This record gives sequence, structure tokens and C-alpha cells, in this order.
Amino acid sequence: MIIDPKELKQKLDEAGYIYDETLITTLVVSLALGRPLLIEGAAGVGKTEVAKVMAYALGRELVRLQCYEGLDESKSIYEWNYQKQLLSIQVGMGQSQPQSKTELTKSVFSEEYLLERPLLKSIRSEKPVVLLIDEIDKADEEFEAFLLEMLSELQLTIPEIGTVKAKSTPFVVLTSNRTRPLSEALRRRCAYLFINYPDIEKEVAIIKAKMPNVSDRLALAVAQAVHDLRENDNIMKKPSIAETLDWIAALEALGVPDLTPEAAGLTAGFILKNEEDIAQLDTGCGCAGHTHADGTPCEGHVHADGTPCEGHDGHHCHHHHN
Amino acid sequence: MDHDLYLSRIAEFVRLLSQEGLSVGTKEAEDACRALELTGFTERESVKAVLRTICAKSQAECSAFDRLFDAFFVSSEQKLANLKKAMEDQQELEKRRAEAAEELKKHSFLNADDDFIGGYAALPEEEKDRLRKFINKFRDNAERNPKLYEGFIRSVFMKSIMEQQLMMEDADLGVQETDPDLGLLFRDISQINDAEMPRAVAMIQRISRQINGELSARKNKSSSAGALDIKRTIRKGLETGGSLIRLKYKRKRPKHRRLVLLCDVSGSMIQFSEFALRFIKSMSDVSESSRVFLFSEETAEVDPFALQDMDQFVSYVRRTGLYGKGTDLGSALDRICAVKPPVLDQKTTLLIISDAKTVRLEDAQKSVIRAASLAGEIIWMNPIPQRKWEHLRSVRTMSVLCKMVPCSTLSELARECRKLALG
Repeated sequence: MIIDPKELKQKLDEAGYIYDETLITTLVVSLALGRPLLIEGAAGVGKTEVAKVMAYALGRELVRLQCYEGLDESKSIYEWNYQKQLLSIQVGMGQSQPQSKTELTKSVFSEEYLLERPLLKSIRSEKPVVLLIDEIDKADEEFEAFLLEMLSELQLTIPEIGTVKAKSTPFVVLTSNRTRPLSEALRRRCAYLFINYPDIEKEVAIIKAKMPNVSDRLALAVAQAVHDLRENDNIMKKPSIAETLDWIAALEALGVPDLTPEAAGLTAGFILKNEEDIAQLDTGCGCAGHTHADGTPCEGHVHADGTPCEGHDGHHCHHHHN
Repeated sequence: MDHDLYLSRIAEFVRLLSQEGLSVGTKEAEDACRALELTGFTERESVKAVLRTICAKSQAECSAFDRLFDAFFVSSEQKLANLKKAMEDQQELEKRRAEAAEELKKHSFLNADDDFIGGYAALPEEEKDRLRKFINKFRDNAERNPKLYEGFIRSVFMKSIMEQQLMMEDADLGVQETDPDLGLLFRDISQINDAEMPRAVAMIQRISRQINGELSARKNKSSSAGALDIKRTIRKGLETGGSLIRLKYKRKRPKHRRLVLLCDVSGSMIQFSEFALRFIKSMSDVSESSRVFLFSEETAEVDPFALQDMDQFVSYVRRTGLYGKGTDLGSALDRICAVKPPVLDQKTTLLIISDAKTVRLEDAQKSVIRAASLAGEIIWMNPIPQRKWEHLRSVRTMSVLCKMVPCSTLSELARECRKLALG
């Protein structure tokens, strides 16, 4: 399928998804080549969202397969409705003229008894769909092997029926948080995109797109603070975009017009998700830990305990602008 | 530029990517050309994004791709500047080689060939000074008795040249580190500093959780797939009037592996041993029924409770008195082989965590052979990068006697621990 980049941009704008040129090019190319798109990146950078907005942009149904440890073909491709088969056989046995063995086998292994799972559903659909295989890194390596046939040949094999060829070509999006390396074979079949945490400008744009009522000042302060937190090596769990939005929502709910150290302290649980990270926020300096672009140490902020910062040099800071 | 020429350049570029270790082939070249026909060749950044999408398959490959793309597709001005710089560099190199050749010619007993001269020319000036002083000290002896001294003096020179080359390789690897987490995963463990330790530990915990997850998933799977357990299925079927509604599958009997760990905790090895133990102790299946021995010049068996808090590992090692001493692998292995009741048998895997640098190498070899005859398998996790193994006699020798696996980075260590756990 060939899609005009301008048209795609317009659709993503309508869906409120903030994009860059690399993303647009990648989506256009993978659609044009009919290749699955493998998206990697830290948790919460908007990987899953890409599939959702593509479903919207292409006007297709989104079929989602959430991966987890132990996911196998019976949960992802198909399963025979064993209980229904068994009942059918028992009913058949009670009839005066029971079916022959061949007929019986043929009838119980027909589509009537087939439980369709997301992968099979996506290729048997008359209309093309967007298939999201979410967090593929959580599934086992064996499951990757099941996927290979589908991704490269767009077909699946069911031993009792034979090969099921795709009626339509789904746009496949696979996401991974990189908790384990994916196989070379899988990677080779996919187009690849890495999504990093957004820079401050992009994060402000995301905040404004998702929460238009937030003031520019608060959006910028929060984006700057979140950026500093992500840069801080001492913070173990880096905040995601979703957490940025939660934080802003919490600040809005408190009616806080600006990101003061007090407000940051009160709402820290929305942006930092473990005790050690929050302790860092309490004991560290204010936002003045960084140096400005011109090399001068920052002096414009306030420590968490309320004392003004006299400037630091050479290390990042995880606190927030006053 | 001509359209066909562009396509041939892309084919050349894909070949270059392949030579640099990216997993690309004809299919990628074909796809790249198709995609570029569609998106156009006019904008450099767009061409780069298209090719990256098709040719790079991981974040590490993206970094390599960007570097190669910028080097391959350069503007004519940049090309000219690069050419000029390359010529200047080449001239400088030739000059240094000529000077080195002239200098080494004075010492005929060094038998300096082209490689030797090239290596010497690349040495920093202070290292050259050190070698000059060294050769001056032994020159009279060497000229009097060349047979006795030439091999010795040459080996000192070769050692310096080799170390310099290895340092250059390491420095080159460092340049490619763009993503902090990825960098940490692929960096030499010895280069991980104290400030990065919490991140490294968090990474180990994350990977261990994943491995444990895979292990438990395998166990779960074995209860719902595979061969049908007729006896249990019929018994279960009695609940539904004889209809076999719920099928029961045979469970695989868990394979009990006994692991004996021998960890080198001499000065240079303690950090690596800590990382390896963190991995192994957090993998429940492997750590169960395993025994851990620490060694430097002496050997001590670890109290299992002492390793429950791995944050205290270094202080524990200090308390044992093993910290900061040399390494005697031979006596450590002898001690393990002599333990009564025996620690090693054919159901045991002996895991040695060491860089193979030891005193009494010959004795250590004999001890490894003896341990190999007692244990079912010996796996040696070596923190020295594999590319350096051929230069180190002890590693070369030991790698022949047992299965030695490279574990110089967290990524390699995780891979080997995963293999160990999943079998």
C-alpha cells in the first residue's frame, strides 16, 4: 500500500500524535514495502500508540496481541474448540446412522470448531487490519519462530486444515522494550524504528496536544524537569511520557499554576515510581545542577528545601524549576 | 546525479554495511531501491531515514548505520576535506615510519620487519622513551651475545606494541557508545565505574527477572502441551461422566543441576565476580543446591546466607581475607577436588569465574585436567575479551582444557547465564 506522506501527517495531526520526519518516512516505507514494523524503545515513549494512530490513519480495525511469558500458538493463532468437538462426536454417536470415521474427522476439524486468535484473525479478515503485536520481548523465543511464517509469507499453517493464506495484507506493528534480544530472523523480516524519549520541545508539544488547557509555562517547566530526571543517572526508573501527562494532571488537579519545589514534592509519586528515586528528589539540589548551553552554571532555581541554589557544575540535576 | 548511478551506490553501500557486520543482503538492497524510487533521492535526511529503516535492525545497528552513512554519502566539499586530511595523515604516518625504521636499523638484533616498524611508529613518545632506555641498558649484552638477548628484547618491544594496539581497539569501541544503557550493556565490565554500578545492578536484576520468567514459562508450558497423560486424563474424565473433557498432559520432570562456582576474587576480578554471582544467585533454578567457593591465593567456601545481600559482597570478601591478594587457581581447584564428601561428580557443572591469570600455570593446568575428570562439565567464564585471548598464554592453554566462554560485557555475561539457566 502506498500512502502520501502529507496525507499521513494530516491523519496523525487529527489523531493528536506528535511525530517527526523519521517516523513518517519509516511508516511510509514499511507500508509501501509491506514489511512489518518493529519499534523498540524504553517503556512509555509511545510505541503502542503508533499502531493505534496508524489504525485511525488507515481507517482499519486494530487487532491487538499482547505478548506475555508462555504465550503459545493456542492463544495467538488458533485453538480447536475441544469441548465442542467432543460434544459433537457424542451427539453423532447417539444417531441411528453414525458418520464414517473420515467424515467425522473432516467435520470436527472444520472452521465451525476453530477458535480464531489475533494472528489468524488478522490474515483471515476480508478488510486489511492493523495488527499490533505488543511487547514481543515478553514472549518466548519459540513464539518468535511461530511468527516468522506469518511475517514473511503472510500465511499460517494449521496441520488439520492446511495453509491459510492471507485474504488481505495487515499492517503489522511489533513493539519491544528490549528486555531480551530478539532473534536475527525476526529482525531481518522487519523494518526498524527506535523511539527515544522526546526532547523538551517535542514533550511540550505532546503535553499541549493531549492537554490543551495547560499553561505554556507549566508545560515547559514540567517538560524541562522531566528531561532533567531522565538525564539523571541516579534515577533508576526514568519517567515515561504517560507519567509526564499524569504529573501535569495531578498538578492541574491541585490547582498549581507553576512547578514549585513544594508542588513537585507533593506530586512526586506521579512522576517517580520508587522510593529511592523519590528520596533522590528530597535530598538533591534544586534544578540548578545543570550547566547552561553557554557553559555557565545555572543559578536560577531553588533547592527542594526552599533555599536558593548557588549553581552547580558538572552534574545533572533532577529537580524542578522554580 | 544519474539515477542508475544512485542505485549502484546504494548497492555498494549495502555491501559496506554487510562488511561492517549489519545483517543486510540482496533483499535489503532491493527494498532500499524500491523505497527510494518511491520517496525520491533529493533530500539527504530522507534517504538516510529510508535506508536506516530497512537496513538497521537494532539501536546498536542504527548507531553504526549513521556513522557509515555519514562517511559514505558525503558532499563534494566534505569529500575534498576528507581526502586532504587523509593525505596529511598518510604523510605523517610515512614520516613516523621512516623515523622509526631509521631508529630501529641501529639495533640489528631486533630483526625489525614492516609490522614491527609500523607498530613501533604508532607508540606514544613516552613509551618509545621507555623502550629506548631499556634497549640502552641491554645493548652491550645484546651485541656481545645476540642469541641470548635478542628474543628477550624483542619480546619486550612486542608486548608494548601489542598493548598499544589493544588500547586503540578499546578506544575505538568507546567511541560508538551513544545510548547510556546500551553502552553499559556492551562495555567491558572492567570499564564500569562506581557511579554506574546501581544502573548495572538494576540491569542485571531486570535480565535475571526475564530469565526466571522464561524458566517459569517453560515449566507452565510443560503442563499444558506435549504428550497426553492417559492415566490422569481418564481419572479427570470420571468427574464428567467418562467424557474426556479436560485433557491432562505429561509433566517434564525438572532436571536438577548442581552447580559448583569457583570465583576469582583477586583485586582485578572482584567486580566481575560480583556481577556474575548477582546473575547466578538471582536465577532460582541455577542457584538452588549450588555451592560457591571464592579464591585468590587461598580458597574459602561461602556461607550461603552471606550471599543473600549481594550489596555486601565486597565487604564479605574483605572479611574473608582473600581481597587484594594474587591468584592461585591450581591450589583452589585442588582444594575443591579434595573436599569430603566430594563436591564434584558427573552430575555437577563446575563454573570457573576467572581471567586465567594465575601463578604456577603448569600446576593449574594439571588441576583443571583433574577437576574435568571429576566434574560432569567445566564452564569457564572469562572476563577478558575474546579478541585478546590469542595473545595470552594462560588463556590459550586453559581454553583447550575446558569450555571457555567470553564474558567481557554484561551482554555476554547475561547470554551465558541465560544458557546456563535454560540449558
